[in-house]
Amino acid sequence: MGWRVGVDSGGTFTDICLFEEETGRIEVWKVPSTPHDPSVAISGGLAEALERFDTTPEGVAYFGHGTTVATNALIQGRGVETGLITTQGFRDLLEIGRQKRPDLYDIHAEKPRTLVSRSLRIGVAERVRDDGSVEQPLDEDALRAAAKDLKAAGVQSVAITFLYSFAHTAHEEAALRILSEEFPEAFVSASHRIAPEFREFERMSTTVVNAYLGPVMKGYLRGLEDRLKDMGLEAVPHLTQSNGGVIGFDAAAEMPVRTVLSGPSTGVVAALALGEMTGGQNLITFDMGGTSTDVALLKDGECRLVGEAVVHGYPIKAPMLDIHTVGAGGGSLVHVDSGGLIKVGPRSAGAFPGPACYGHGTTEPTVTDANVFLQNLDPHFLLRGRMPVHRDLAEAAIRSVADKVGMGTAEAADGILDIVTANMAKAIRVISVQRGHDPRDYTLVAFGGAGPLHAARLAAELEMRRILVPLTPGILCAMGLLMTDLRTDFASTRLASLEALEADQLEEIFSGLDHRAAAWFASENIPADARMTRRTVDVRYAGQNYEIAVAVPAGPMDRNTFETIRREFLASHGQLYGFTADGEEIELVTYRLEASAGTQKARFKPQPIGASNPDHALIGERLVWCRQVRSFRTHRIYDRLRLTPGNAVEGPAIIDQMDTTTVVPAGMAAQVDAYLNLVMEAH
Amino acid sequence: MAQIKQKPPAVENRSLNPITIEVIGSAFASIVEEMGETLVRSSYSTNIKERRDCSTALFDAAGNTLCQAEHVPMHLGSFIGFVPLILRKYGIDGLKAGDVFIGNDAYEGGGTHLPDIVIAEPIFHGDRLIAWAINTAHHSDFVDRGHAHIYQEGLRIPPIRLHRAGELQQDIQDLFLLNCQVPRERLSDLRAQMAANRLGVRRMADLCGKYGVDTVEAAGRELQDYAERRMRAGIRTIPDGIYTFADRFDCEAFDTLWDFSVRIIVRGDEMELRFDSPPQSRSPMNVVHTALLATVYYAVKSIVDPTMPPNAGLARPITILADKGTVLNCVHPAAVDGRLTSCQRVVDLIHGALAPAVPERVTAASNGSCFDITFSGQRPDGSFWVYLETIGGGNGARFDKDGLDGVHVHMTNTSNLPVEALEVEYPITLLAYELIDGSGGAGEFRGGMGIRRVYRAEEACRVHYGGSRMRSQPWGLNGGLPGASGGFRLSDGVGPFVKGVGTVNAGDIIEVFTPGGGGYGDPTRRLAAAVDRDMRDGNFTAKTAAVFQSKEGVA
Repeated sequence: MGWRVGVDSGGTFTDICLFEEETGRIEVWKVPSTPHDPSVAISGGLAEALERFDTTPEGVAYFGHGTTVATNALIQGRGVETGLITTQGFRDLLEIGRQKRPDLYDIHAEKPRTLVSRSLRIGVAERVRDDGSVEQPLDEDALRAAAKDLKAAGVQSVAITFLYSFAHTAHEEAALRILSEEFPEAFVSASHRIAPEFREFERMSTTVVNAYLGPVMKGYLRGLEDRLKDMGLEAVPHLTQSNGGVIGFDAAAEMPVRTVLSGPSTGVVAALALGEMTGGQNLITFDMGGTSTDVALLKDGECRLVGEAVVHGYPIKAPMLDIHTVGAGGGSLVHVDSGGLIKVGPRSAGAFPGPACYGHGTTEPTVTDANVFLQNLDPHFLLRGRMPVHRDLAEAAIRSVADKVGMGTAEAADGILDIVTANMAKAIRVISVQRGHDPRDYTLVAFGGAGPLHAARLAAELEMRRILVPLTPGILCAMGLLMTDLRTDFASTRLASLEALEADQLEEIFSGLDHRAAAWFASENIPADARMTRRTVDVRYAGQNYEIAVAVPAGPMDRNTFETIRREFLASHGQLYGFTADGEEIELVTYRLEASAGTQKARFKPQPIGASNPDHALIGERLVWCRQVRSFRTHRIYDRLRLTPGNAVEGPAIIDQMDTTTVVPAGMAAQVDAYLNLVMEAH
Repeated sequence: MAQIKQKPPAVENRSLNPITIEVIGSAFASIVEEMGETLVRSSYSTNIKERRDCSTALFDAAGNTLCQAEHVPMHLGSFIGFVPLILRKYGIDGLKAGDVFIGNDAYEGGGTHLPDIVIAEPIFHGDRLIAWAINTAHHSDFVDRGHAHIYQEGLRIPPIRLHRAGELQQDIQDLFLLNCQVPRERLSDLRAQMAANRLGVRRMADLCGKYGVDTVEAAGRELQDYAERRMRAGIRTIPDGIYTFADRFDCEAFDTLWDFSVRIIVRGDEMELRFDSPPQSRSPMNVVHTALLATVYYAVKSIVDPTMPPNAGLARPITILADKGTVLNCVHPAAVDGRLTSCQRVVDLIHGALAPAVPERVTAASNGSCFDITFSGQRPDGSFWVYLETIGGGNGARFDKDGLDGVHVHMTNTSNLPVEALEVEYPITLLAYELIDGSGGAGEFRGGMGIRRVYRAEEACRVHYGGSRMRSQPWGLNGGLPGASGGFRLSDGVGPFVKGVGTVNAGDIIEVFTPGGGGYGDPTRRLAAAVDRDMRDGNFTAKTAAVFQSKEGVA
């Protein structure tokens, strides 16, 4: 036993959370991030924290980490020079994609950059049929020549994607062997290992992204591991994947494509942890930052997994939490378009020059300017006095927009927040209403610098009754890392009719997956009693191309298993599309096994609930815009860190803390729970 | 002739401020998008589920577009005629909640070609008709037909009720399915279309419940006024003047060349476009008026302001003229199945005409076509199978950028079908799918490359292929060179094919190569680094390299 450490490495701050298993003691530490090499801040910050809290690296029993290294490399095009080997005649598939243009009406839009330039995409003669039979054997000489050419061209990484490799792996395996002989120093990704599912373009794109990010991620993780080892850390470090589970550094370095959503997933997992703490299992997360906002839905404590998503323009087939991202946040710019309507975004002011109120010379208003003008935010200083702002500049910027549409300044600023709220509500409808869930049955979990600022309006828009604001956003993520299961997913595609498939065939497919899971459990040193697996199958009507994931009951397979699958499928199809096609053939497509290991999770101790009076935390009052009475009204200001469990803050009020501000509107009250979360409800 | 309406720059109705309008407009957009996802995800036919050849929209009670989802611009042509026809035929009093109308005819059904089946459902609030949910799906059917006139092209359906107050009219459905070659797919696609509309009806009811029906309707009107203002503001940025452009049209259906031309008058914030084309012909390339309207609305929006909302208001400042009975404004009984390819050339005409006025906004000619290929045959049990696909090509080069390679341009925007899905469902093998070296027109910015797609039939089947720019080349702009022509090539002994139609046997190979886009600007001004990259990547062949030769010193 010892300390469990969670580190969330963000763009601005690196948050470190330490949890002592024996005593339940929690300590947090925050240091500025080092974007050029995030491992510097992580190891440095950890060393500081350990020293400060009187422990040593040897005392760390677990190290969990969430990172944006892979996703940033993808956004900024900082992956490595990559080559592609594919079936002859199909090398341009990577560029053609699904032959759709990037924007329907904007003829000047560009596609996302193709990650492998045309001269480094090489077709090799070979052809497999859809049933896995070989029509044309692999031309090994041509493959060898391709490997040499790519080596000579100076690539660092090679992706291999042959048609139907999910049904016949031998050609890609031969390619791996030849590459290891001719070009052993290259990072190599083969599609049957990275994404063994049908649809060749998406599989190719996934494999290429993996190869493109591989050396970057490997370098980062090795560097971090070395630094941690040098410090004397003995615990095996783990990383959050896009599926919300953690995985060892070695596995993560081979499969960086599975960690592209590591950062946002950490937030969702943290919310899950929060749900476990507070007993609320139906949550919608709302993580609003400066330039973008992530939302996700957790039903009964689980977030839906999707098998494919387009991430920064690149299709990726990997298990990912169903996180929906909107390109809008506090820094989104506001303008009046040529038709006379107010628009928010998609452009953003960024950190510099930032919103008009920062006083760096911009005059275009942002969402933050609306909040400063309406005094939801402190009109003089942000970050508890660290950053001065100028309300007069915010006002002038908003007025320039208000004048154009003939509205008052306050009315326009209020309207800007309504538009932002509507955009966010739209995103939440995608993950709730569109998937058959009613947001009114869920609690809104607001975090990120701007989440708690907008949460009450958003909840009102969606008629959600309860809002949970964790103590601090970054720390929440770091804490989430302490509560995450070790987890990975295995999949296998084989089309079969529900009627025609025999129980022993289904058994065989899943035992194949079990076998792969067992190897992974062994490689992660997971004891037998901690190993958990869960089976699902993707089902559709024969002829459809989009499947619905259905749980497959544990235990031996028999005809009842198929009946259960059928029943679940029909129920889900009816819920999603409003009809079932009785009598039509039902087809099983992809079989999935989720393997996880219950880690020794941190269990936070509730603090005793005290008196409701929050007056000891009162730090002042100011006039803040109240949308109900459409005028400025005196709000009491409370210091979040001085509020203690049981304290109840009646709206209208503002609860201030260094990294965020919570607006408690009139008609609502926020109560501090035993874990220092704010629980806001109408009263 | 429409009057010039001087609109105030801001909305006057105080209860309906710009914020509410923006919020409700965003709700409309989200409803049509969700309708589209429902349609795609619940359908069975490859043309919908993978190729997404379908569109969804909301219309107001009077039949004006409130919002169209971003799928296929051509489909607007099927929508704008449909609701007005229903209203004329049945009257508002003849409608009930739960009625569902089906139609496709180009002359009596508001459609632009017969396979695009439109399904529309009126949305009521109490007794009041407030809007329409509408969608169209290209049913991959009515294949291997003649195209001398529309009676050869498939079943003609005027707007009739498929459901009457919520009850399926089995007789109608039976009649429809009996006339289809792949009835199982047709039925499932109809179900998916129904599901999409029902969702639209439900979401609109929620929206009215939230904001009040008067506010939603008023916002719908304001959004159309708003789109009109955006369009006028956009047109105003084009210098006044008369702009003309002419081009020649070729296709697989006939040996002659057609002259197409446009004369555009820009005056203040209004635009008039007059199109000249030959008399309508006994070929599938004729275009009905609504298809021409949808094409011009797309082209003008994409040139003047691509972000204006896609609703009926944007049409108000635009006047579109073409003589009746000509290819670009055909009347009964002209065949229309291949209208999309003609419409692609209409977009190119508009770009060509406006190039002198706004050179930075237009592109050189794109592939100017919608290459399509359809395979059909019979299974051992006697049932039909049909596989249809369309293939993208080069996008014209732009003022400051190369054209996009291998994409669908302008009026269409369908996806390809993955090889690994195609070969599982149909007796066809794909031997190659790649960009064509050297097919993009050279220029300071090069045109996009065309696509080469090679099929091998695994069984005897009937094939139809079609496209344009096979006997001409997509033009370049400002000294840019033209893109390569497209075409079809059959392996030895295959055919004969007449007007793109023929029979193939197992093992026969068909190769399609689509045109590239035209280049923009003098090729000698192309940066040396870009030329080097082109040569390394094989985007140009050694032969074409000569055009860049005076590049020394430029980079």
